Amino acid sequence: MLADTWYLFGKYMRITIRMPWWSLFTLVQPLIWLLIFGQLFKNIAQLPGFPANSYVDFFVPGVLIMTVLFGSSWSGVSLLREITAGTVDKMLVAPVSRVAIVLSRVLHSAVQVLAQTLIILAVALATGAATSINPIHITMAMLIVFLLGVGFASLSNGFAITLQREEPLVMIGNLMTLPLMFFSTALMPKEMMPEWIDYIAMINPINYAVEAVRAILVGTPDFGAYTKGLLIMLVFAGGTLAWAVNAFNSLRD
Amino acid sequence: MIQVTGLTKIFPSSGNKAVNGLDLHVEEGEILALLGPNGAGKTTTIRILSTLSGFDEGQVLVAGYDVDRDPDKVRESIGVVAQQTGIDYFLTGRENLVLQGHLYRMNKQDIETRVKELSAYFELEDALDRQVATYSGGMRRKLDIATALIHRPKIVFLDEPTLGLDIKSRKNLWSYIEKVNRELGLTILLTTHYLEEADKLSHRVAIINAGKIRITGTPDELKTSIHGDSVVLAFEQNDATINSFVYSLKGDPAIRDTVWQGNNLHLYIEDGAGIIPRIALLASQQGVQIKSLSLSRPTLDDVFLKYTGASIESTGKDEGGDEWWKQWAGKGSGNWQKKWGNWQEETTAEENSVSTNQNDGGQDQAKPQENQTKETPSTTPAQTEPAAAPWGNWSKEEMEAWWRDKGGVPDAWSSGDGQQNDSSQKSGK
Repeated sequence: MLADTWYLFGKYMRITIRMPWWSLFTLVQPLIWLLIFGQLFKNIAQLPGFPANSYVDFFVPGVLIMTVLFGSSWSGVSLLREITAGTVDKMLVAPVSRVAIVLSRVLHSAVQVLAQTLIILAVALATGAATSINPIHITMAMLIVFLLGVGFASLSNGFAITLQREEPLVMIGNLMTLPLMFFSTALMPKEMMPEWIDYIAMINPINYAVEAVRAILVGTPDFGAYTKGLLIMLVFAGGTLAWAVNAFNSLRD
Repeated sequence: MIQVTGLTKIFPSSGNKAVNGLDLHVEEGEILALLGPNGAGKTTTIRILSTLSGFDEGQVLVAGYDVDRDPDKVRESIGVVAQQTGIDYFLTGRENLVLQGHLYRMNKQDIETRVKELSAYFELEDALDRQVATYSGGMRRKLDIATALIHRPKIVFLDEPTLGLDIKSRKNLWSYIEKVNRELGLTILLTTHYLEEADKLSHRVAIINAGKIRITGTPDELKTSIHGDSVVLAFEQNDATINSFVYSLKGDPAIRDTVWQGNNLHLYIEDGAGIIPRIALLASQQGVQIKSLSLSRPTLDDVFLKYTGASIESTGKDEGGDEWWKQWAGKGSGNWQKKWGNWQEETTAEENSVSTNQNDGGQDQAKPQENQTKETPSTTPAQTEPAAAPWGNWSKEEMEAWWRDKGGVPDAWSSGDGQQNDSSQKSGK
């Protein structure tokens, strides 16, 4: 299973590296958010009770998580494409581990968003964000990024298998990204949110990812808050991956 | 090498039997062609045999292994070339082959020698390090077959291997299929709806229709089973005189079989040339005008017509690249899928019922349904007639009858003649 996963993962990475423009293209939106939204909301930081020195510092973890969502929520679309192209059937008639087929796709997507997130972080630091540059802190933040990428890529692949159509899949992909962003502390600190949004944020995995990344990168590292987020991310990634693998296994007609 | 007994596959969404008690035996080293119309169950059969689909009844042994109990053993012994080339367009030919080798757990050296062998065999060496996206259709097919052979399988399934290829690439591919069969001793099961392909390429042909094998044999055996020559008649008119003409033809002891195909009547006769003058005489006696008459040796199309009740030339046309989607759309559990699945299987069921009806009628059956429907309007009141006219749901026939009773049909319905009845007066105003 691990060998199969490795070879298939290698195939997807090779295709991605062969078409770097596509990966860079998905960075455009988070970049616009970072550069424009960060400027637009600059003055919010002057409000009393704002938890960070500048809005950009506060916003960087939100943009990083946004990059993960934009990058991984479409993983299922290419699975549908592989199904229609017969590539999946070709794997299925070989004695390949069924788990490996899903796992390799999800891992590829998670690694891809990891690289994208690092680019965004570099741009943020270059444009004056004062988040932590301690390599250990960044690695810890990237662990959250990776797990969230696994989770959302699994969701997207799982929905692709159960829905079997591109249109509803794209719709769900859209729903999974922006609205869930607004129901989290990505853009606004908890203290400034209406109470009802706060309740929704409590069951929103994105919220915990943002909080964990912020806890480690912005201001004094808060390892307790980070660990809480990490555990939730582990459960989220593991649960969604198991669901996607299960959906794929029940595909045989 | 392949032993299928009583195979039945029911699509869970609609209960339609895609494969219905299919028996099939393929010898080691032979090429067997599954020949059948769209919706006959060819692809479903291949999918079951290659462990992609489950089934409901029967036993399937491939290379000595039960597909249900030892799917991985079966997978190791087979190579599959599906209708959709499963090769990756963004990878090079070599990368596709190497990946496939890894997926079959071959070691690096073995893969390397195999890639060399196969690329030489299929003359792909020059293109090996180019992306597949730059390949021509024929080259993609060749690469697809090469990837299916990388692990030295004993059996290869080819599902419509030459679909969508031009004639030159098709003939070229045939020569490769023959070559791997001859030189490597591969057992090949292929599906096709090209008669020529089944005729030239395969050692034996199995004609499949409505999920069952109708007959199996070498192309020559099948053709001789038709007996004698085939005479095809086309008629000018389409009325009752044809029926009596056909009836008297059936009485002729020299004519062994008569089969309708559309408006053409196929006659199977021991000595075709000798009977033509007699047919012509009989036709002129009964006032039947024959549009054309042709005489030929029986082809596989005649065999196909006999066992499926339809010519493959007319049924095979719409089989195309979207069959995969129907296959996949049948899966899953969503509501819309069920609807889609039902619709999909209803349409195949319709196709099947048409052909079985004709089949049940035997070889010397009555006129086909198309002709019957042309005659029906006079016997059954036409409920489908649009009800836009003020006289309500009357059919044209009923109206004409009514006017005849009143003493003659007027030239125009809304002429405003004082003799007309109330309904047409309404229409006049």
